[in-house]
Amino acid sequence: MNEEQRLAEELHHRARSLFGRSLHVRTLDTGSCAVCESEIRLLAAPPYDLNRLGFFFTPAPRHADLLLVTGPAVRAMDVAVRKTYEAIPDPKLVVAVGACALGGIWKQDALVHGTVDDVLPVDVYIPGCPPSPLALLHGLLVAVGRLEEKVASLSFDLREVTP
Amino acid sequence: MLWFARGLLRRVVTTRYPRRTDAWAAALPSPPAFDSARLTPELAARLVARCPNGSLAIDGGALVLDLGGCTGCGRCVAEGDGAVRPSGVFELASSERIGLVKRIPIKGARK
Repeated sequence: MNEEQRLAEELHHRARSLFGRSLHVRTLDTGSCAVCESEIRLLAAPPYDLNRLGFFFTPAPRHADLLLVTGPAVRAMDVAVRKTYEAIPDPKLVVAVGACALGGIWKQDALVHGTVDDVLPVDVYIPGCPPSPLALLHGLLVAVGRLEEKVASLSFDLREVTP
Repeated sequence: MLWFARGLLRRVVTTRYPRRTDAWAAALPSPPAFDSARLTPELAARLVARCPNGSLAIDGGALVLDLGGCTGCGRCVAEGDGAVRPSGVFELASSERIGLVKRIPIKGARK
């Protein structure tokens, strides 16, 4: 790792620590089937209640710290995606939600980019079709550095004992 | 909800992520886990053909599972004849896209 990468990493870490225990979330639908949105909406329901963890939904990207992006990044949304991202004040986090956003469903063609990676710098990926509200909560807490990622230690091999 | 009473008592409005997940969470649709001792090249080829969105692939003697593309549809579980089971894992958030790609060795496959 060279000096430039180390500085970038350090800046990233400090940006995350700035968010502390309260931040505002803006959702952006780039052509999803709305099931991810349905699960995101469930985050505000009493069993999950993301407000108690210090997360709040905001209708305006200018008030947001974190962008939840769903859908396969349809090209018709290119301008809206760019404007939304630019409107969010620094430091900002981008979280890609669902199999579409992670490039699992749609291949790149004339209509879609196929993955949110092509249009935005993604910080955290949350897989699932759709990801359950608990998976989303875990992903949000990973994004702000309050929980550790678990997936790296899992092998998905039934013969291997996971540490 | 109990956290509300706790918040009133301690005068802390935010709480932590649950230490243990609820029992029903294991029944959520989740990516498959494979029994590598029973994962023959023939079975692996069948699983790859069955996956509707190309989240399974064979690469150099290993079955490559892309968790990012997996929808948890369960077709490989139905095809796998007991060698494939739902993993029950849903806390899969990762800051690296490549961290979501898992390699499971295929039994008796040439590298």
